[in-house]
Amino acid sequence: MSETFEEFRLSFSYGNRSDLNFKFLKSLPDDEAAEFFRQLLDELGDAYDHGSLDPLIQLAIDWQARAYAPREGMPRQWVYEDGPFAEPVKPLSESRVALFTSSGHYVAGDDPRPFGIEEMTQQEAEDRIGEFLKAAPVLSRIPIDTVHEDLRVRHGGYDITAAATDPGVSFPVTVLRELEAEGVIGKLHADAFSFAGATAQQRIINQTGPEWARLLATEEVDLALLVPV
Amino acid sequence: MSVGHVARAIESAGIPTSSIYTYAFRHVPDEMKLARVVVTRHPMGRPLGAPGDHARHRRVTMAALELFDTAEAQTMVELPEPYRPGSGA
Repeated sequence: MSETFEEFRLSFSYGNRSDLNFKFLKSLPDDEAAEFFRQLLDELGDAYDHGSLDPLIQLAIDWQARAYAPREGMPRQWVYEDGPFAEPVKPLSESRVALFTSSGHYVAGDDPRPFGIEEMTQQEAEDRIGEFLKAAPVLSRIPIDTVHEDLRVRHGGYDITAAATDPGVSFPVTVLRELEAEGVIGKLHADAFSFAGATAQQRIINQTGPEWARLLATEEVDLALLVPV
Repeated sequence: MSVGHVARAIESAGIPTSSIYTYAFRHVPDEMKLARVVVTRHPMGRPLGAPGDHARHRRVTMAALELFDTAEAQTMVELPEPYRPGSGA
């Protein structure tokens, strides 16, 4: 059975060639996706001689950005004229800082159990991405002294390989604990927070976001460091 | 978008936020008018850098935290350092 180029590039986004590092191919028109592959092969050919993969990696990052950049005439859903800006009441060195990420980390034994399923696999999360995007997010509370071996990550929206290998790529508790010990920040909040960011947006705006904000206020958090993935 | 909505809710509750975005999504905090933002030239899923690149994780985290002391209005800082593949550790 023949396959069109469009079908080929779409297959990387939850299709039969699904690869979340390259799902951005769905967002490129055919001619631009073709140009990406041409440049990729060109750089690969050069790498035969100079041996460095850095230009290949940079090329992929640049094209990922190009794919996700808003295109002229494309309707934008979440554009605001203005945004809230809270003034810190204390300097960083005297403040209690909480880490809050959408990386999908959680502690072993405290699975957020999406759709009631214990120990859902990453593959199943990817397979059910459409359902995640309509469901309310669940916030995981992660004590900052949780060891790497007890940390888990699952998120149907991105390639979690790096986040599982080294949580520091998106969940920088190790760095924050260092900075607390050095006095750069006053106090690292005892728990960090994480949720899988592929979730219902309207529910976050109307319900979950304000609830989480009240939670941080109740726990006397002064500053929040946020990491989307 | 999720973290953008959460950031706006937390700021509205009076708690300052600072957010770390990858280059591919730099338009999101701009469109959502987030308070303090650091943008890294890293790929999706690795906003602070490659696995094992602790020095870069620290550099990015510091850049985001410093905005709490320095930003007097909505601020977005793009870190120029290119991604460097990690040890995978």
